[in-house]
Amino acid sequence: MALIEIDDLTVSYGGEPALNGVSLRIDEGALGLLGPNGAGKSTLIKTILGFLRPASGSVKVFDLPLPKSALLVRQRVGYMPERESTSPKISAVSFLTYCGRLFGMSMVDAMERTHEVLNYVGLGESRYRNMETYSTGMLQRVKLAQALIHDPKLLFLDEPTNGLDPDGRIEMLELIREIASQRGVTVILSSHLLPDVQHVCDRVAMLAKGRILSQGSIESLTGALERQYEVRVRDNDAAYAALLDGAGCVQRRMAPSDTLLVRVPAEMKEDAFFELARAAGTQVRHFRPARRSLETAFMEALGKETSDAGV
Amino acid sequence: MPVYEHTYRNYEGVFRHRFRWWIVVEQEFRVLARLRIFKFLVLLSSIQVLLRLVQIVAYDTIVQDPNHPMAAVLSRLEGITVKSSTFFDFINFQTPVMFIILLYAGAGMICNDFRNNLMEIYFSKPLRWHDYLLGKAATLILLGLSVTALPALLLIAEHVILLPSWELAREAVDMASASLLFSLVLVVPTALAVLACSSLLPGQNYAAITLFMLIIANSSMAGLLSQSLRARSYLGLSYPLAVMRLGQDFFGIRPAIFDMAWHWPFLLLAVTALICLLIVARRVRRAEIPA
Repeated sequence: MALIEIDDLTVSYGGEPALNGVSLRIDEGALGLLGPNGAGKSTLIKTILGFLRPASGSVKVFDLPLPKSALLVRQRVGYMPERESTSPKISAVSFLTYCGRLFGMSMVDAMERTHEVLNYVGLGESRYRNMETYSTGMLQRVKLAQALIHDPKLLFLDEPTNGLDPDGRIEMLELIREIASQRGVTVILSSHLLPDVQHVCDRVAMLAKGRILSQGSIESLTGALERQYEVRVRDNDAAYAALLDGAGCVQRRMAPSDTLLVRVPAEMKEDAFFELARAAGTQVRHFRPARRSLETAFMEALGKETSDAGV
Repeated sequence: MPVYEHTYRNYEGVFRHRFRWWIVVEQEFRVLARLRIFKFLVLLSSIQVLLRLVQIVAYDTIVQDPNHPMAAVLSRLEGITVKSSTFFDFINFQTPVMFIILLYAGAGMICNDFRNNLMEIYFSKPLRWHDYLLGKAATLILLGLSVTALPALLLIAEHVILLPSWELAREAVDMASASLLFSLVLVVPTALAVLACSSLLPGQNYAAITLFMLIIANSSMAGLLSQSLRARSYLGLSYPLAVMRLGQDFFGIRPAIFDMAWHWPFLLLAVTALICLLIVARRVRRAEIPA
């Protein structure tokens, strides 16, 4: 049984469809919702939480129909919203205890769970300070903690790395990956940042203009490009590139590295790369069949050209 | 292992869902109890309670005892007598501080949640908009009653204990119900008006100032109408005077400023409360179910 079953879902804002005939099955694991701003990612999450009423179609979460069973669904899911949320006059401990109480925990359980979750997200002694003194990164951690307070089976994260510096972003992504892989929590990560999704998720659904453009595992979407290879040599790369040209290869440099993306003629074997390197007086340092990047797959789904779309 | 060193485990406790609105009330009181100004206001509201306490003790134990050496002196003091109107006066004099407490506690209650984007977080939990609204309203109403009805009831109880008689006990029941009713008509519309302003305006200062100005404008308008039409009964359109008029009716006090049948001020307050409730319900409901 899929955790979430969405069938021909249409959601409108004042007559304007924000989601248009979306059908999606979400199983256990980590799923990335990819799409440009305004694609309908947040609308989809809010509909699954029962905030928005579908104009048509159906949504079932844990086999519970929405919006009829919204409260039962909310009891079992965690939600980290996109916008910065804070309760400035109280500490993270007080805020999370309140959130736990709203889920129906006793005061003692909520307090105990609050400390467990705040430890887990790495909010140290600052948990006792008023939240008005927190940095953006700390507030993101509190937002994640409040979504985990009741040990949900399904976790929705809407742009969880918003406003974070590079280190904070990596820490947050590592944390989310750990939740998805080791805590048995199904994570649905909405983002327009492809590397974030690629870091955490094993499957993606691509949205644009309220429609699902493509969905599947990242492995299948970023499949190998036919007769194309990534190759990098130690030095003399100009001479090496000239020899590749002479052998009938089409090549271009992959930005920003010094790696070449090479498409070989049908009759050329892989051994030829090493022979040509020897002829150019250099050594091959990196060689592998080229794969489409997630960005390429995404841009193709959007019907746009990319700089990374092969040669 | 101390609780603050535990790390993430699967939660194995139970979830109980009774009276979710009460959790909102508890949290609001917890937040308020941390604020110094709030504590100061509560202390301020207790000054009159202490004075009335002394008055009742003096009246019941000294003035009522003809053998007491101070009885003759104290009985000459104006206002020492404890009667039904004493409790009306008590609640009436508590009105300004009650209003300030409700404004201080309630003006930011909803707008701060909107401004800090907390609605999405709260409503992603098993909390419905009516639980949220009931929790906020109950907090303000309980707060208002705790500086009006509650001390009034305690003072009445003190009066009955110090001067026990069947007649006074019967009278005390009437005074207690009048105190409760007067406090309710004072607190409930005010609490709802504070919440309505808080739900409509972007910040707590705006909400507090707006409500304050509305009440001043309303009283001025009632005064102007009364002057220009030369009819004192139009003063009943003033929100504070309408509340006072109802209070006088509950305590059986003859109105001094204007005379008007009780149902007109009651209608004014009921309509005000209803409009405020509709405004705040609409705003909060839309936070949970925007479309």
